[in-house]
Amino acid sequence: MTDVRPAGHEVGAYFRFERWELPPPAGSEGPSAFAGRAPIDDHQRGPGGGLATGGLLTCIDSMGGLLCGLAVLPRWIVTASLSVQVLRARQVGPLGFHGRVLRQGRNSVVSSIEVVDEGDGGARVAESVVTCAVLDPGEMALGFTRPLVIPMPPPAATPEGVESFFGIEPGEGPVTRLRLDDRLRNPWGILHGGAVATLVDVAARRAAAPDVVGEPVTTGVVVHYLAPLRVGPVEARCTPVGTRADGTVVRVALHDTGAGDRLAALASVTVRAV
Amino acid sequence: MAAWDYPPEVHLLADLGVEIEADEASTVARIPVTAELLGPDDGVHAGVIATLVDIVGGVIAVRALHPDWMATADMSLQVVRPARGPVLEARGTVVRQGRTTLVLEVFVTDVPGDGTPVAWSTLTFAVLPRAADAPAPEDLPGLPRRSSFGPGRLDGHVLEAAGITATGEPGGMTMPVADYVRNTIGALQGGVVALFAEVAGAHAVAAALGTGRPAVAVELQVSYIALGRVGPMVTRVRSVTTDPATGSGLGVVELRDAGADDRLTTVVAVGAVSA
Repeated sequence: MTDVRPAGHEVGAYFRFERWELPPPAGSEGPSAFAGRAPIDDHQRGPGGGLATGGLLTCIDSMGGLLCGLAVLPRWIVTASLSVQVLRARQVGPLGFHGRVLRQGRNSVVSSIEVVDEGDGGARVAESVVTCAVLDPGEMALGFTRPLVIPMPPPAATPEGVESFFGIEPGEGPVTRLRLDDRLRNPWGILHGGAVATLVDVAARRAAAPDVVGEPVTTGVVVHYLAPLRVGPVEARCTPVGTRADGTVVRVALHDTGAGDRLAALASVTVRAV
Repeated sequence: MAAWDYPPEVHLLADLGVEIEADEASTVARIPVTAELLGPDDGVHAGVIATLVDIVGGVIAVRALHPDWMATADMSLQVVRPARGPVLEARGTVVRQGRTTLVLEVFVTDVPGDGTPVAWSTLTFAVLPRAADAPAPEDLPGLPRRSSFGPGRLDGHVLEAAGITATGEPGGMTMPVADYVRNTIGALQGGVVALFAEVAGAHAVAAALGTGRPAVAVELQVSYIALGRVGPMVTRVRSVTTDPATGSGLGVVELRDAGADDRLTTVVAVGAVSA
């Protein structure tokens, strides 16, 4: 058994995302729910003024993984897909997260996570669904103290911006690259799902910028995780699909250029001006 | 019912006039665009496009996964401009085939047209492995290069044909699980699920915008949780947010099977814009 670290421990710590398990009431069966809270440190705010969408996606991915993983212990899960609708880009913070399992099957688990702005009267910030595939973790079986509590880490001594933390190279246009640093790996040694989602967000906004009047902000993301990203650099290749009243739709394909250019994720992103 | 005997003669998919064309490289489904399929913007309803996408996805999945079976796990549909035909064509390809899931991508275009998509979709199918002690599977028959689901004889609007009715509440809809809209395993067909949610979500967004104009669904994010088998199916609007500046909004809709202890079957995020 391996003692648990928060998945992508440095990624979770970066956003200072605290989470706590809410077991079912005594005498009732079923998977635990989860609650969480993330402050919005100034260096992590995005173009809309709230938590950078990549941070929002990372927190949702982390909570969804825990929800689904704890539901199937001693087996574990990998995220298969992530669907997030961002309802408001301006946020005061901290953000509150409320997650529950919608369906627990033999091969997959589906969870729902709602995000609210605790600093703005509980206004809804995002709705999401995380679907995980169940796997046999083999030698890497995880151990937990239940109910699981992951406390909020202290503020960073040296604040680092989101794109810099995730190793996303500066640039513009339809292709964006990410260096796969070790601190971005999860306990299985592959790129954290939140890093994947953050790259998708940044790449789509850069690609949509010519079609958007104003600063682009992501309002909806669907990520299909197709294969593990192990080598890098990771290249996000974007194709605008079309523009309509509520924004521009961008197709994002992530390739592991160090692993035969393997297609590792496919995403749909809706971008509009702030 | 075997997948290759589906749909029966009296069925919504037959009445849509679906044609399938397949070769080694890709699979294509087409429907003629008629007035019965149009929404308030004179484009084909997003849910009808989702149905076409689900059909082409299902044909690909059945063949890719045989002798195992599959269920649609999720569908993302983005409609980027009104689909007006005269023929609507969905072309699907496999993005990844794994042990537990199959991920597909489908582009939808007007035909004839310039080839730019009117809609784009991704779908995940969950693989349902055949039990080791299950009877030997039937051989999958060779798919003819072209085949037809039916003659295309819808004689009323598609929402009426599917039995979708409004309850009077914003986003409130109900529909029976009739044989006319069942899938191969007797549950509400996945595309029809999307159509049902689309109508509810767009209705809720229009009510929240409060302009008196209808809203048109342009985005569907469908998470299939359980099968709708009994009916009637009912909608519950979980949340609605709007952006008056763009005349758009998002409704998150839960679909429940009222005849099966109000079981949650589907969660759908519906993005809609004012018509």
